Amino acid sequence: MSHIHIDIAGLSFGYEEGIPILKDLSVSFHEKDAVGLIGANGAGKSTFLKLLVGLELAGTGSIRVEEIPVEKKTLAKVREKIGYVFQDSDTQLFMTTVREDVAFAPRNYGLPEDEVNRRVQRALELVHIPHLADKAVCRLSGGEKKLASIATILSMTPDILLLDEPSVALDPGNRRNLIHILNEFDHLKVIASHDLDFIWDTCNRVLLMDRGQIIADGTPDGILRDEALLTTHALELPLSLSRIRPG
Amino acid sequence: MSKISNAARSIGKLDELARKDTWLNRIHPLVKLLVTLLYLVLVVSFPPIRLTGVLAMALYPFLLFEISGLSFRDALYRLRIVLPVVCLVGILNPFFDRERVLTVFGITVTSGTLTMLSLMVKGVLTVLSSYLLVATTTIESICGALRMLHIPGIIVTEFLLICRYVTVLLNEADRVTQSYALRAPGQKGIARKTWGPLIGQLLIRSMDRAKALYQSMCLRGFRDDRPYLTVKSVTATDLFYFAICCSALIALRIFPVLELVGGLFVS
Repeated sequence: MSHIHIDIAGLSFGYEEGIPILKDLSVSFHEKDAVGLIGANGAGKSTFLKLLVGLELAGTGSIRVEEIPVEKKTLAKVREKIGYVFQDSDTQLFMTTVREDVAFAPRNYGLPEDEVNRRVQRALELVHIPHLADKAVCRLSGGEKKLASIATILSMTPDILLLDEPSVALDPGNRRNLIHILNEFDHLKVIASHDLDFIWDTCNRVLLMDRGQIIADGTPDGILRDEALLTTHALELPLSLSRIRPG
Repeated sequence: MSKISNAARSIGKLDELARKDTWLNRIHPLVKLLVTLLYLVLVVSFPPIRLTGVLAMALYPFLLFEISGLSFRDALYRLRIVLPVVCLVGILNPFFDRERVLTVFGITVTSGTLTMLSLMVKGVLTVLSSYLLVATTTIESICGALRMLHIPGIIVTEFLLICRYVTVLLNEADRVTQSYALRAPGQKGIARKTWGPLIGQLLIRSMDRAKALYQSMCLRGFRDDRPYLTVKSVTATDLFYFAICCSALIALRIFPVLELVGGLFVS
């Protein structure tokens, strides 16, 4: 078995007392996992991702990232290992130009300027947007913003990538490009999405969540083809699979 | 385009100007900050009655506009809201201070008129010099210069975040008003009875977005007490610029330059 990167045990969480969002979750993610987190609205996918990176702190239970417990005092260490891509790229990008934004994290980690420049160039190349380096963030299209958001995270060279609804508002070309980029990232990644076709194209493991619980954990083939399971939990077969369904 | 999105764009354009690669932009931010502070102090230090002295200080911004290639008209346009307010300062002086000082072409000039004009010119010059600073220096560089002056990190961070959140607030205000206008066709402005909920929504949405932005910064290694700010080292050119500007400004403050020049033409 590969080295465990994230280990979650008995995790429960709620924003208000008595109204749990996540209920007693226990799951482990491994080094090469590409995990698709699927579920209807309000299933707890985004909250789950936020807990992994310490944007919310667990009520009960524990989260360990490479043996480091996610607690207030360990947040800096944990966040060096995890890159989190927000659903809304406008939230992710706050500097004036793409280059400045991508350089933000490496500079914060005190890297020398040569190394910062090298990382910025590499991150921009990975998402195929080196030509946008000096473009003002406010002038980017939705797809370009998403790619720039991912570049801001790749420049941190994270061991783990978390993405919240990455395919939202992308046109088919940019969507295909993003799938390609994510498939090239060969570390652990967790993708929360309603876009089951996107999950089908990028993940080798799927977690189905409903009302704060993990209902199913398996391969994309096992879960995304199970129409009865998906329908019970307010989802539908991916379009690409429903088209080739016999009959 | 709405007034709000115009304002947001205007901030964006100012930032683009600050990122240009001109010789003035390349001068070290600390040097530009110190020169601007010195200029402000010197302009304010003139007694209100010494209008000619204050007018001589206009040489600095006008010269910089001329040689840096920045558009003076653009500056006036961007400052169109601030400048009238600045000009209002001292507007009542002519009514309270009627002491006769001199007569020009048969028109009596009172001390109150002189002090009013002096205050107006001082206001305009200080605003223009501050504009010159922000149009040639990014906010991050100004913050870096402040850190070099040992201003506490937490204060610099506050300043930096306020500058960032102004745009967030404007963008949210733009979205809210657009959404309102689309559902209130033909209506001019926003109905008074909806001001309350609209402002409430705007605040809540801005706070949510500001929180998300802050989280995004924290996830990328940002720390309140240690804002990341890269500032290059001071070069010989920077020192030369500093020395020239400081000596010229101090000379303008000490010597009555306009009177001396005028004395050449009037016996």
